[in-house]
Amino acid sequence: MAQMWITMGPQHPMTHGLWTLRVKVDGETVVDTEAELGYIHRGVEKICEARDFTQITPYCDRLCYVSAMTWANSYIYAAEDLLEAEVPARAEYIRLISAELQRLASHLMWLGAFGPDIGNLTLMTWCMRDREMFLDLLQELGGSRMHYNYPRVGGVKRDIPIGFADRMVAKVKLFEKRIEEYEMMLDESTIWLVRLQGVGYANAEEMVEAGVSGPNIRAAGVNYDARWAHPYSVYDEVDWEPAVEKPTSVKGADCYDRYRVRIEEMRQSCRMVLDAIEQIPGGKNTNYASGDEMIYTKPPNRAPEGATGFSNYECTRGASQFYIKGGGEGRGKMPYRLSIRSPMFITIPYVAKTMIGYKVADIPAIMGSFDPCIGETDR
Amino acid sequence: MADTGENFAAFNSRALVEMVGGVTDEALKVTRIKQFLSVLAGRFFNWAGRKSLFTLHLGIKCCAIEMAAAATPRFDGDRFGVLFRSSPRQSDVLLVNGPVSKKFADKIVRLWEQMPEPKYCIAMGECAISGGPYFQSYNILEGVDTVIPVDVYIPGCPPRPEALIDGFGLLREKIIRIGGAPSTGRDSDKPIIVGDE
Amino acid sequence: MGMAITLEQNVTAVTECADAINDRFSGSGITAEIIQHSNAKKYSFVRISTPPQHWQALAKWMKFEIGVNYCSMITGTHFPEGPDERGWDVVYHLLRQPVTDQLPNTNTVFVAEKMVGSFIPVEFEVIIDLPNNDSPTVPTVQHIWIGSDWNEKETWDLVGIKFEGHKNMHRVLNPHDSPEGFHPLQKQHKIRYHDFNEMYDDAQGFVRKPADEGRVK
Repeated sequence: MAQMWITMGPQHPMTHGLWTLRVKVDGETVVDTEAELGYIHRGVEKICEARDFTQITPYCDRLCYVSAMTWANSYIYAAEDLLEAEVPARAEYIRLISAELQRLASHLMWLGAFGPDIGNLTLMTWCMRDREMFLDLLQELGGSRMHYNYPRVGGVKRDIPIGFADRMVAKVKLFEKRIEEYEMMLDESTIWLVRLQGVGYANAEEMVEAGVSGPNIRAAGVNYDARWAHPYSVYDEVDWEPAVEKPTSVKGADCYDRYRVRIEEMRQSCRMVLDAIEQIPGGKNTNYASGDEMIYTKPPNRAPEGATGFSNYECTRGASQFYIKGGGEGRGKMPYRLSIRSPMFITIPYVAKTMIGYKVADIPAIMGSFDPCIGETDR
Repeated sequence: MADTGENFAAFNSRALVEMVGGVTDEALKVTRIKQFLSVLAGRFFNWAGRKSLFTLHLGIKCCAIEMAAAATPRFDGDRFGVLFRSSPRQSDVLLVNGPVSKKFADKIVRLWEQMPEPKYCIAMGECAISGGPYFQSYNILEGVDTVIPVDVYIPGCPPRPEALIDGFGLLREKIIRIGGAPSTGRDSDKPIIVGDE
Repeated sequence: MGMAITLEQNVTAVTECADAINDRFSGSGITAEIIQHSNAKKYSFVRISTPPQHWQALAKWMKFEIGVNYCSMITGTHFPEGPDERGWDVVYHLLRQPVTDQLPNTNTVFVAEKMVGSFIPVEFEVIIDLPNNDSPTVPTVQHIWIGSDWNEKETWDLVGIKFEGHKNMHRVLNPHDSPEGFHPLQKQHKIRYHDFNEMYDDAQGFVRKPADEGRVK
């Protein structure tokens, strides 16, 4: 049978973003693949060389637009390393809460996009409905449904509103029951299990060699999470455990394991958020004014030539890192070089090779289970 | 042997159809029934088209997430007839929801050319209108209207799903005005911008 | 309570790695020092600086002796106004991640506070300074860490640093038909409207005062 290259081009309902996957097929079996990225390469690294440290935060929100708060936090930690800023404890708790709420919203968006790929259109409506709950909470904090521009170097912009704690606890407790509804619908569905189990095996050592991180390696049984391995914020003071799945095969983790890891991560995020809001210093029903020392300490706004800042942060899709060199324009008010490490940029070429040997119909399942987000890939 | 119509003994169906069609056409034109029917048909197609705008399933960047949110239970664009189709050959509206890079520019023009008339383009979000926060970038075009004629602009970064639904409403009003006019040469000196009243 | 690597574990691991590198490579221009972050929990990492010709040997030793198995980020920077010996620089960020042979039906249970020896994760930063000329070159480590493959392609694409020995180098983010030699992150390329004082004529209705004529805001 003749082999041919098929282009799953930039405009494709399955690809979750703008990139091309060229597959070489022999009948229905995938024989070779090639990924092509760069359709939304915006040159953010170059633009940020002409922006203030506070002006860069909105650009980082827009890197991975589905989990904006985690990327903004990731950049802010690097800027704090560069500018040597102190952060008050209450601000760290608020950052943890906002990052974990964003992780919940992002995993729900993933599930809402992954379900229709497998054929389960109900998931789209259920997940987006539940995601709206968390977007409302994040809107109370940051002012917008996506792209909040919320953390600042040295703290956060605004304190949590009065009554936010009660609303959040009610919604998170409701959501914990909803997770059980999802599991009931999916784990007992033959189609779901048949399409996900045994498909897309990814071996743990190969993944680590290739630079994959985050829930994708935790699905293969490797318990590695930047939140405890390179600790930041107050993750060691709240109650949580990393969500790790046991792989059932020596070949590694399949799509089902990656799906289960994210459901468990949602549970752990709920647990973290409920614990953090009880422990927050200053009380959960007080609201300090913007700029108050409980939530913000004014940092220096220039960084001399030779200073560098680095942050290793656990974003929803893996470990994101920022590396900033100081001493740019404006006598150090702007960075000289800002470099962004996107977990998906490394994962997508690896995933393209994972698909070899499976059928064409398995491609959406494998691709979706790794949770691509092209915004961060193409900076 | 080719039928040249010279064998008058044989029955030539093509000539018959042409003759009958010509006679009927003249009759309808004279009694002005044809004009009446075409106005009726035009109004009907205009009504049908604007009540069911099939949008291309194209998600470029963040505004695509708000576009997806506009299709979900809370905001529900489907009750306005807005449905997403995967193929440009089957869609009416190209909703550009992100910045257009140099690599993607000729592909988006190709998608636009593959869409059959009547077709409309909505630029959603700052990046599609003018390049947005990336207007200084070396790789992003300053707005999708440098390569495609745009009918409705929806500002916002990202615009809320309600703004997107309002944009579709303004597009419907524009369709009442321009109907099935071809997409080249539409008056672009009076752009429609959401939020302008 | 959530677990976390403690400060003592971090300090022990980092000191061990830095001492091992300094002992092995003393005298060849490779130096390792311990730097402390100023953010988060103020943990430390190992910063190594090496001349380009020894980079592959160092990389191989780090992978097989210290267990550095994860290449996460490669950053190239252009210093047109720098000193002659530092016109370009390439910074590799590497991690040592604890992964053991993953058996099926098991989790790798790490209790962070009990990890010892080469299981403790460590961050490494390798800085390679290149002289100020028009063709900066660094030997590739594509065959040592798979994660460096696309990172090196991106660094060449955006900054223009050539990786000697890299197979199948191609543009990843810029369009494939970009002009040869166009590497946007070099400092001679300015972003659009870079030299404009005002983006639009009188955008907010404020007329420019005579005293502000010619002043860069």
